[in-house]
Amino acid sequence: MSAALKADELEVVPGFEHEILQGRVWQPGTEQELREGLEKAFDYRGDVTITRHDGSSVEGYIFDRRAGATLADSAVRLFPKGQPDKISIPYADIASLSFTGRDTAAGKSWEAWLKKYWEKKAAGEKNIELVPEKLD
Amino acid sequence: MAVPISQMWTVVSYVLSQRMAGNKRYPLVLMLEPLFRCNLACAGCGKIQYPAHVLKMNLSPGQCFKAVEECGAPMVSIPGGEPLMHPQIAEIVEGLIARKKYIYLCTNALLLREKIDLFKPSKYLSFSVHLDGEKEHHDFSVCKEGGYELAVEGVKEAVRRGFRVTTNTTLFDGTDPKSVRAFFDEMMSLGVEGMMLSPGYSYDKAPDQQHFLGRARTRRLFNAILANRKPAWKFNMSPLFLEFLMGKRHYACTPWGMPTYNLFGWQKPCYLLQDGYADTFAELMADTAWENYGTESGNPKCANCMVHSGYEASAVHDQFASWRGFADTVKATLFSKYPDADALRMLDEPIKPVHAPAGLVQLTLATEAPEEVEA
Repeated sequence: MSAALKADELEVVPGFEHEILQGRVWQPGTEQELREGLEKAFDYRGDVTITRHDGSSVEGYIFDRRAGATLADSAVRLFPKGQPDKISIPYADIASLSFTGRDTAAGKSWEAWLKKYWEKKAAGEKNIELVPEKLD
Repeated sequence: MAVPISQMWTVVSYVLSQRMAGNKRYPLVLMLEPLFRCNLACAGCGKIQYPAHVLKMNLSPGQCFKAVEECGAPMVSIPGGEPLMHPQIAEIVEGLIARKKYIYLCTNALLLREKIDLFKPSKYLSFSVHLDGEKEHHDFSVCKEGGYELAVEGVKEAVRRGFRVTTNTTLFDGTDPKSVRAFFDEMMSLGVEGMMLSPGYSYDKAPDQQHFLGRARTRRLFNAILANRKPAWKFNMSPLFLEFLMGKRHYACTPWGMPTYNLFGWQKPCYLLQDGYADTFAELMADTAWENYGTESGNPKCANCMVHSGYEASAVHDQFASWRGFADTVKATLFSKYPDADALRMLDEPIKPVHAPAGLVQLTLATEAPEEVEA
């Protein structure tokens, strides 16, 4: 059966498991490990600190990665924290990664919201809502 | 008020010109996201989970105009985040109107009454108000009690002032089709121009990971909702896309049909997936490995998708690809009732609302009368 046909028979889509990366340090020993870590960093919805081989580091939000054939022609692109302009860092310059920023996609769930809602409702509260987090 | 003839003519002539030029891949609607921050935290949304320094950023009007010109699509949808939170949203809208682009400003309408003086009614501007169903359903969907009333007040005010207003509705597993039909009645009674609807996309970053519809259930749900259609309901969508949602047609995804531009650049490959960014529209079109996306590709991230951003452009393309497509469109427009006894029966099947307390299942009362359908 083709993938398209199988997809057409789906009733409910299983949700995605959320990998806990916050606080993790990625010290790649091989090129493959570095590429794997950068894929995770690209998918991560928090800031990541990149430490270069020369010892300098930059923390920011990685929004893109361009994987080429070699580390020299591969690069990640990010918005450094507190700066308005994008920068690009070649894979070849990267020594390690730390998932230093809070994972903004973690820690909230529909179940938690429902539980909180019904608790508040039972306590007689009104205008119950989930509010976006403060930006400052 | 219906979709202006000028808009229809603009879209038809644009599509035909693309086809005559031999362009197989062309954009129909630019999805322009000028910011990511929002004043809601909806359970099914995976668009706003970013660090604060990213959420504080805005595209400038100049960046928006450059993207619009690069892309060339005749219609621009402005989602977000909440676009009314953008400090220069009026300037952006004004600039797009000056460029004769048909704009759908997608808003949850919480700020609409406060900001409406920034805008002037125009045939080029529609407020597309996010409303996910009747009051209880909408409030749970946006995780805010009172969200429905605020949105409806915004709709009424915009209609009163002569703006074009549509609604956009996203449906998830557990949706009660009967309630959606009642919601359509409510919306049309408010005087909206038309309604848009779509199944939710299974965002891997959304808080709710349990209620994404699979394709089989999507088709049954939309057939229950859209068959036995009431003549008063107007949809601001391709009639063939609605047939696709009802399971009456098969389309392949055309992710380039509604390309997305935001703070990061041109999003690969579509509005829903983030597989990297291109710096220019030309780069997006040339360098994206399109064959890796869409249900047919086997990409698991595309497996359940039947969302308008991937498939409505496919339907519009089909409308103008052949005389058959054109004839089907005429037929779907003129004969839009779709009588279906099975679909009518489905309206009374038991539904477990997604927002029920754990263990509580809504039971259908045997005494409940079937929904009355207009002839």
